[in-house]
Amino acid sequence: MKRRSVIGLEIHLQLKTKTKLFCSCSSDYIGATPNTNICPVCLAVPGTLPILNDHAVELGVKIGLGLHCSISDNTRFHRKHYFYADLPKAYQITQYEHPIAVGGYVDIFADGKEKRVRVHHLHLEEDAGKLVHPTSDGRLTGASYSLVDYNRGGMPLSEIVSEPDMNSAEEAIAYITQIRQLARYLEVSDGEMESGSLRVDVNVSLSNPDGSLGTRVEIKNVNSLRSIERALEYEIARQNKVLDEGGHLVQETRLWDDVAGVTRSMRSKEGERDYRYYVEMDLAPISAGPEYVQKIRESLPEMPWEKRERFISEYSLSLEESLQLTEQKEAADYFEACVSEGAPAAKCANWMRMEVQRILRDLGIGINEFPVPASELGKLIIKVEKRELSNTQAKDVLAVMVEKKASLKEAVGLCGISDGRITGHALEEVIRKIFASEPEAVETIKSGNDKKGAKVKFLQGLVMRETRGSADPAEVASLVNSMLG
Amino acid sequence: MEFHKLSALEIAEGVKKGSWTASEVLSAHLDRIKKFDGQINSVVTLSEESAYSDARETDNAVSEGRDPGPLAGVPFLVKDNFCTDGIRTTCCSKMLSDWIPDYDATAVKRMKDAGAVLMGKTNMDEFAMGSTTESSIFGPTLNPRDFNRVPGGSSGGSAAAVAAGFCPIALGSDTGGSVRQPSAFCGVQGMKPSYGQISRYGIVAYASSLDQVGPITRNIADMAAVLGVLAGPDPNDTTCDAYERPSFSETASAGIKGKKIAVLTGYDAESMDSPLIEAIEKAVEYCRSAGAEIVEAKLPITMKHAVACYYMVALGDASSKLACFDGMRYGHHSDGRSLVEMYKRSRNQGFGKEVRKRILIGTCILTRGYYENYYVPATKVRQMIADEYAELFKGVDSLICPISPALPYKKGLVEEDPVRMYLGDAFSSIANLAGLPSISLNIGFTEEGLPTNVQLMGPRFGDAGLLALAHAIENKAGSPPIADIEKKGGCRE
Repeated sequence: MKRRSVIGLEIHLQLKTKTKLFCSCSSDYIGATPNTNICPVCLAVPGTLPILNDHAVELGVKIGLGLHCSISDNTRFHRKHYFYADLPKAYQITQYEHPIAVGGYVDIFADGKEKRVRVHHLHLEEDAGKLVHPTSDGRLTGASYSLVDYNRGGMPLSEIVSEPDMNSAEEAIAYITQIRQLARYLEVSDGEMESGSLRVDVNVSLSNPDGSLGTRVEIKNVNSLRSIERALEYEIARQNKVLDEGGHLVQETRLWDDVAGVTRSMRSKEGERDYRYYVEMDLAPISAGPEYVQKIRESLPEMPWEKRERFISEYSLSLEESLQLTEQKEAADYFEACVSEGAPAAKCANWMRMEVQRILRDLGIGINEFPVPASELGKLIIKVEKRELSNTQAKDVLAVMVEKKASLKEAVGLCGISDGRITGHALEEVIRKIFASEPEAVETIKSGNDKKGAKVKFLQGLVMRETRGSADPAEVASLVNSMLG
Repeated sequence: MEFHKLSALEIAEGVKKGSWTASEVLSAHLDRIKKFDGQINSVVTLSEESAYSDARETDNAVSEGRDPGPLAGVPFLVKDNFCTDGIRTTCCSKMLSDWIPDYDATAVKRMKDAGAVLMGKTNMDEFAMGSTTESSIFGPTLNPRDFNRVPGGSSGGSAAAVAAGFCPIALGSDTGGSVRQPSAFCGVQGMKPSYGQISRYGIVAYASSLDQVGPITRNIADMAAVLGVLAGPDPNDTTCDAYERPSFSETASAGIKGKKIAVLTGYDAESMDSPLIEAIEKAVEYCRSAGAEIVEAKLPITMKHAVACYYMVALGDASSKLACFDGMRYGHHSDGRSLVEMYKRSRNQGFGKEVRKRILIGTCILTRGYYENYYVPATKVRQMIADEYAELFKGVDSLICPISPALPYKKGLVEEDPVRMYLGDAFSSIANLAGLPSISLNIGFTEEGLPTNVQLMGPRFGDAGLLALAHAIENKAGSPPIADIEKKGGCRE
């Protein structure tokens, strides 16, 4: 009997604000000395009060609109209570009953199909500090004391909660990728799992034969797309096995162990905490009224899916080409800047997807760090179009442009290939260089001993070889003769 | 010159004119505190050095021709739950007994900026939880009008100090009557302004949606001047309203001719101490003779539910706001074998009995199941109470009612009959629930010398009108004299 897996995700995005959610501490905490990026407010010093960061609300509304959510014009914060060393107030300020954005969706591409995944809501909340448990062997357990770093405490997060609309690990990954892309397009978050600016909690169950939802298990500690995929595959197999063997599943939270490749029970529903949620009275209600929302809506950039469609219609690209080019906004912008130089779109797309991609991969850099300006790549592609450069030559030139951070013109020169024809002064330079390297031949000619003109021909040949045939033989002959005379 | 008999405005005027210096005034008040506070224990920390330095600064401003501020050289005290830069702020609890903040509460800062001179901190019920000022780790404060009675609470130290002539102005915090009830018990004037009138920044919280800073003075003109200094928006407290405040000092003398004033009826007057009923009758008569129209008002929802509602809201919030005291970053710390054990020991040892009780009740109220049955209904009732008052103030300008059902309690009642003490908040907690301004106004004394009083309430942000009413009544009733603590020397049991 094949059961259908049902997956819902909670994605935490760290919002790209300058300051924390409720105080004026810098949000630039990564790499800072522990407990230097703190203030009385985020340390919960008695008497202090939270002050809401308007920019975080704006970013929350932005991504809410991107997710096609409706924005609530009367939203409040709640307090979520628990005692732990990473939480100075002993409550986290979060949104509970009245989140800022509700009821949206995203369309994803997975298993070769487009699919709509509904978004239940998006809410804003503050992050907690970070605990470090120093053990001699680096393990999490067995430390005799713990250290706490409050630098991250109070950082703004938006949590996006999906409906349980995904049915495979591939769909889950596609959903996360789509949200990450949206967050980056809207510049609301870096969306990096490595640095923790994007974090995911996974909920998975198997549907019963009658179609009703089965017992739900939450998986935590999945810190990369790969571990999410593996954890889902493991957990789906585990749940199937338990049910196949006639066992029962319990509603619980399980931790993914990336090394062992298994999930382990952390706490069951009975052990579920009562967070004693209630309204945060230190903050007035937020009113994100229609005018405010409209203003933000108007400021939104082109969405990734809009760009994808436009690239297909405007540049006659295939869906696959368009998907790849629009994956990152910066790459899409680069592509369009190339095209605007006058280079054919199909060719630009090809160069971007093949050569540029390869270089980026080899160097391990992103398109932002690619040293060749889009206009230069555009010109290079035009040269190929005009047959001034062969494809092979053009790749050499691009390689030099990257390696030496050279302009197109310099790179062409450095490659020693003719940029059109070498004439006049440039040609004289080459000839002078050849003369200098063949002093004996020059001497022979100048002393009148080149009876048959063999040495002159020899020198002309060297010049032609040096210029790779891009100089006019007649001009070479005349210049060589005049410079010898 | 008996400086302690001057009002705040008289002191400031003399300082500005050069009749006397802020340092002289300060020195006289400090002497009086040192001489007599042993009898009533109203002050827990004196900060003489910083006070003299502030007073000298005011004197320098005067001699250099700079504006020394509207409260130039006025010595004041604040309750020990106001954060004071460099001065111990304990909330009169073991939990914070050695905590020294490095910032001033906005209210303290505004007073200093106005030229007033902070002398120190006053006694209070631990974490502002109580109505008698008996739960302080520094021991109880006694009522300067009668040493056998409590000064009320939780701002009992502040009220007692003003009554004893230790300062013309003291600040307290009022969550359910904590400024006004002790003011009533000590025979001084106390005000809880509208919620959002004064910044709460730097007040160690009891309940976020109820707490408000309140001034205590011996007359309404001083009260209006202090409110003028304290009121106003604050970037550090977004619940403090941004509306443009009138000049409270100017409007306080506007009179009440033609105003419509309601007198509360429909409560159990029989169970009240009779001099307090007589005080209401007197106040009503004063209003009439000042040209106001008197009507009767019943507030059935409020009278039936206010106390229960108040304790649900306040204790729920207290359990949340006091959760930060875990002994890790500040406050009393006790070691344990695990994090949880450290928390348990630190909190059990750091908090006193009443505070632990209120945290436990509050935690229970917010726990799943109880939350739906207690907290949620309480918030709905709270809204109904606010609505009942909003409706009332559509038709009348102000309300006169009792502030406390009883004259100052004898010492030790809190142990004997805690429920009676909780019920004592029935009239005072309403203003906090509904966010309204309220003044506890002295209406003379009984034959035994116990102060009697009334509560005046007005619509939200109708603080100016309320001060005008208080001023009009005070004109007839007179402002209370300083307690005769010199003669009572040695009376303390």
